[in-house]
Amino acid sequence: MAAVSPARANALLLGVMSFGQLLLMASSVRGGMPATGVSATVGAVSRPAASAGRSVSGILLDVAHFFGDVHADDVANVKLRLEVTRLAGELSRTQELTQENERLRRLLGMHDDLAPKSIGASVVTARLGTQSRVILVDRGSADGVRPDMAVVAWGGAVGRVVSVESGFARVRLLSDPNSGASGVVARSRAEGMIVGRGGEPMEMIYVPKYADVAVGDRVVTSGLDGVFPRGFGLGRVSVVGEPVGASKSIRLEPEVDDRSIEDVLILLEPTGTRLLETDEPEPRP
Amino acid sequence: MIVVWALVGLSLSLAVELGLGRFAPGATQYVSVMTLPLVAYALRTSQRSSMVVGCASGLLQDYWLEPRLFGLNGLVKTFLGWALGGIGARFDLNNFWGRCAAGASVHLLDEGLQSLVRKMFGETVAPVGAASLALRAVAGGLLTAGVLFIVGKFGTSRRAPRQKPRRG
Repeated sequence: MAAVSPARANALLLGVMSFGQLLLMASSVRGGMPATGVSATVGAVSRPAASAGRSVSGILLDVAHFFGDVHADDVANVKLRLEVTRLAGELSRTQELTQENERLRRLLGMHDDLAPKSIGASVVTARLGTQSRVILVDRGSADGVRPDMAVVAWGGAVGRVVSVESGFARVRLLSDPNSGASGVVARSRAEGMIVGRGGEPMEMIYVPKYADVAVGDRVVTSGLDGVFPRGFGLGRVSVVGEPVGASKSIRLEPEVDDRSIEDVLILLEPTGTRLLETDEPEPRP
Repeated sequence: MIVVWALVGLSLSLAVELGLGRFAPGATQYVSVMTLPLVAYALRTSQRSSMVVGCASGLLQDYWLEPRLFGLNGLVKTFLGWALGGIGARFDLNNFWGRCAAGASVHLLDEGLQSLVRKMFGETVAPVGAASLALRAVAGGLLTAGVLFIVGKFGTSRRAPRQKPRRG
């Protein structure tokens, strides 16, 4: 039997490994067992290294924050004194407004339980590539997190949970090219679909040609996608494109900067659809 | 011993990749630390070991940072390990400019092949600007050359004496 040359043996090995990984990918798309098994093994093997990395980076981050805080404290102290004086006046005004708000909510028949239940999470790491933009948060299935839950931050919508492990969850950001959310222009109520463009600004597509949209308009979630509740900020209109066919596309400056997300809220209930159902009148028999 | 070094290299790369994602998430658009073990093995050892190290680093990246297609980075980096390992067996790239060129081309090909495979699996692929690609190539090349220079200070090249490829 003739001996196989090293080059051919390597090409054969490449073929076998590539085929195996294509099968893994196909299996992961369908949520099959092989991908889950291999993924769990890789996760179990690499967890110590990842934990070590997280701990070291956590310590370094804390040290950096500490020194940053010490410097910032002196400057902030003066500002805060002025703020306290101003806020004392604001507080009494806000208390009045809160009471008024409560009265109005009762009048409108709104229920407190419509407020989305949520859980706080910290960002462990992020990958902001052009084709894939994902963050890892430190809450997982053990905390009640499930795929397709909405993730928001101070300022607006962040993304959607795509997969969950016991101690962490992967969140696909809205700027990922495979993300989508239903949005509405807050001023004119023109609807459209928000899609990510990797590192580029997000785009609002399927906006009717004659819709009233201007640069600077704020776009918020409409709740129609069943993932995000209504009213979370998505971005501000930066460019209004020329109409193509029956619709036009709009560029958005994102409300939340992907590079500065540190803490997020995971909404534990799909309140978007629930709000809509509650708002609509009961069908008559 | 080569396996131990591979495990150490992969663990360190993973820790740094995850740390980078926390410290400077914006940098992850331009550099991929998980390509470093692949390039190091392709330039210093055999084609086969660079394929295996590439596959392992890709699968690690898939587990931690790939939202949908588990095996995508594994496949791409296995291929890159095969290609670069083959070139590294024929030409001496284990010098500053060779490492720069290897790092830059691996970073560019990684991006391009990932887009191709994503398209094959029905995912939407965002267009990549020339400036972004140029920045990725420069950052990837310099990072690779810098890290391999430091690694080289702690060890010696382990590649066996170069042999002429057999024909036929």
